[in-house]
Amino acid sequence: MLFSPGWRGRIRQGDVLAVFTLGLLLGGTLTGAGIWLLSGLTAPLPPAARTAGLLALAAVGVLRELGLVRVPLPQNARQIPPEVLARRARRGALRFGFELGTGLRTYVSATAPYVLALGLLLAGPGLVATLLAGAAFGLGRALSAGLALASRDPARAARVAARLPWIRNAAALTALAVLPLS
Amino acid sequence: MPELTAGRARRRLSEPLLPVPVLALLAVAAVALEHRVLGWAAVGALAGYALSGSV
Repeated sequence: MLFSPGWRGRIRQGDVLAVFTLGLLLGGTLTGAGIWLLSGLTAPLPPAARTAGLLALAAVGVLRELGLVRVPLPQNARQIPPEVLARRARRGALRFGFELGTGLRTYVSATAPYVLALGLLLAGPGLVATLLAGAAFGLGRALSAGLALASRDPARAARVAARLPWIRNAAALTALAVLPLS
Repeated sequence: MPELTAGRARRRLSEPLLPVPVLALLAVAAVALEHRVLGWAAVGALAGYALSGSV
């Protein structure tokens, strides 16, 4: 959708990707700032309780991703309307990226972003770590779009769909391996 | 042996699974080296990448 050729042929797709990435970074950083503010609520918890909470959270994330437990996700079940991109390509890409980057304005179907957000809330690793984790979340989303553009492969979306369970499982397992030690 | 054309090389380098081990290893290495900020950032990037193809 972002790189549809033809109707925005006068605008370079690299420009669209750059603006889209900026939007993702801004959105992710904003959500990170919100999480940092809320993380003050968990500050009184003792370190042992935080570690146990992180371990339990990440373990549930893995079990959910493997389909062994059912945990409904409180996602915003809507798609960003295509009109956002149709009118003005650069401004639309910025808004589209920002909305995706927040992780709050559209579907979030993988478990890892929830584990990340709740993990940051529980661990309270500080302002810099929380903002950077939010920005990195946006960058991770941008990486997907960047690789799609770089591949110039119309069949890539099907390859992504085929590998998505592996990607999601690996993200959840990495969170389980890393977050309790963070 | 099949010739490695530019298109085929591009497809291999943009393989969707490729960033996963890179980011996962970065996260594990960062935590092992007690670099918490980098560890959180790597997990954040992986969480964002896990939403590939989702809008």
